Amino acid sequence: MNLYDIIFYIFAAITVVSGVITVTSKNIIYAAFSLLFTFFGVAGMYVLLGADFISIVQIIVYVGGILILLLFGVMLTNKVTSTDIKSGSVNVLPAVIGVALFAGALISIIIRTKWTETPGEIPLSTAGTLGSVLLNEYVIIFELLAVLLLIALIGAASIARRTKEETN
Amino acid sequence: MIPNLSEIFSLTAPEIVIAVTLILVVLVDLIWDKNKVPAMFTAALGLIVAGVVILNGMPETGMIPNNYMVVSDKLGLYFKFIIVLTTLFILLFTYDSKEIIESHLRQGEYYALVYGMVLGMFFLTSAVDLILIYIALELLSLSSYVLAGFSDKETRNSEAAVKYLIYGAISSAFMLFGISLIYGLTGTTNLYGVNEVLSTTVVNIYTLGFAVILIIAGIGYKISAVPFHFWTPDVYEGSPITITAYLSVASKAAGFALLIRFVSITFIDHVKADGEWILNGAFDWQTILIVLALLTMTVGNLSALWQKNIKRLLAYSSVAHAGYILLGVAVLTNLGLVSVMIYFAVYMMMNLGAFYVVMLVANKTGSEHISQFDGIGYTMPYAGVALTIFLVSLTGLPPTAGFIGKLYLFLALLDSNMLMVAFIALLNTVISLYYYVRILKHMYLKNVAEMPEKIETRGYSTVVLSLLVVPVLFFGIYWTPLIDFAKYCVEFVIK
Repeated sequence: MNLYDIIFYIFAAITVVSGVITVTSKNIIYAAFSLLFTFFGVAGMYVLLGADFISIVQIIVYVGGILILLLFGVMLTNKVTSTDIKSGSVNVLPAVIGVALFAGALISIIIRTKWTETPGEIPLSTAGTLGSVLLNEYVIIFELLAVLLLIALIGAASIARRTKEETN
Repeated sequence: MIPNLSEIFSLTAPEIVIAVTLILVVLVDLIWDKNKVPAMFTAALGLIVAGVVILNGMPETGMIPNNYMVVSDKLGLYFKFIIVLTTLFILLFTYDSKEIIESHLRQGEYYALVYGMVLGMFFLTSAVDLILIYIALELLSLSSYVLAGFSDKETRNSEAAVKYLIYGAISSAFMLFGISLIYGLTGTTNLYGVNEVLSTTVVNIYTLGFAVILIIAGIGYKISAVPFHFWTPDVYEGSPITITAYLSVASKAAGFALLIRFVSITFIDHVKADGEWILNGAFDWQTILIVLALLTMTVGNLSALWQKNIKRLLAYSSVAHAGYILLGVAVLTNLGLVSVMIYFAVYMMMNLGAFYVVMLVANKTGSEHISQFDGIGYTMPYAGVALTIFLVSLTGLPPTAGFIGKLYLFLALLDSNMLMVAFIALLNTVISLYYYVRILKHMYLKNVAEMPEKIETRGYSTVVLSLLVVPVLFFGIYWTPLIDFAKYCVEFVIK
């Protein structure tokens, strides 16, 4: 086990542990803060994979933007902080069996399969290549994502106005 | 190889029309913010233009696989045409829908979201790259989650949206995982590339099978195939009826187009002269599709027997129809493909019609319970007769178009010597007769007043209804044009 592996496992542990806390915590503030560490751990893995641009974006957008927004939203609406989140569990046994089977299948597949490997050296900076690939080969996907964001915006506005209309 | 800009334009002309109109609809809605008629006309006009572009593009489709993300072939254009027609009908329905008209201020968003769905479905019919497929699927799903919970009159509206969202998120997560496994196995996301790797190198069959099953979960959710159908009755019941009808036809058409594209590009070796598809043997599609189809139609039909809410009943009936259509895919021949295409054209008309009548009745009575249909045959005579025709057609009896759909499906099955499968499908048709006829019984034989009071229907509703009744009857008697058009469109790009 070299240094690279050790760093990877540290980041992986951060991601998984804080992910578990996010899902199980009854206090929404705790959940939001542990989500911060999940995103941070994922960003660390991106760095280890040589994807510098994505990891920076991950930190700027998720940790810096979305999560702060989420925390503000939670803190400004006092109704959310004071109520306990309803998180009961039903059908535990069938769920455990199903998930265990699925996990077993996944793990055995991941171990047994001979994955395709493309040799290549880690580039010093990925931002330039990424930009030219996005606007050449993947331009349709890029544009479609723009429409997807527009639709998300319209949909959010529609849902937000739904209750307002009712009170009028 | 990346095609140049003009080539991309010609490959995605209908999509570009839709995307531009989507933005126009938003702008028009902002300019005339009180009056919603301009937005509706813009939406309808954009669809008509897209329809013309599709029909114009049909003769000059490029048959060369270009290793790019989208292909433009007659098969894709056919499904796009069905989607455009369905959307036009949905816009006509919307004008008459109490639920949507009541949320007057948000109608602009409604049209924009419908356009989002159309764009997603268009890309699903022509995408040959797994990343593009995933994004298009997400675009379609995201718009439909919001539309499913569009009205806010009852709790069931919100319930529908949340259930749809949760099931959708899980199934798209499955699909994404499958895509990542395929990428790990083959090193490419392009379907042609995957086919090339599968036919030249030996990959781990279990991993491939697992990945394909995960992808089937994603597609099966869209076409509501058993066992991925659990959301269907609740979402269909809770959504506005226009959206329910839309989900049951257009969304399924896109899902089937994706399934056909996925099978025919990724796993096909060659097409024999008599139209039989020879697969490359990496995955046993025929068995799994037949099992899925038989399960889907049987569960759908048996569950429909006990339903008291017409929307739920039609939801299970649409699950059953997805099963019949899956059989058309499962035979893996060109004849099977023709039967799927015919069935879809027919299914569009009869299913939309049935939902429209349900909407008319629900507009008057405020509920879709089966008891609201008591005596409808006398109080709303034209709607009653129309619903009778649609239900007979859904069962698949002559002289309606539904018979032609089923006939060609069974022909395709017999042509491939699947006697047993055809027999089970036939039994299912007989079961479905029971619950369709039960609605007829309520309409004509229950609580009939001595002097039934006529419920006024608008002239507009009568015209829209006729637009659906006439073709169902016409194609039931003279079906050659439909068959010829479908046969003309069976032309798709393989490797």
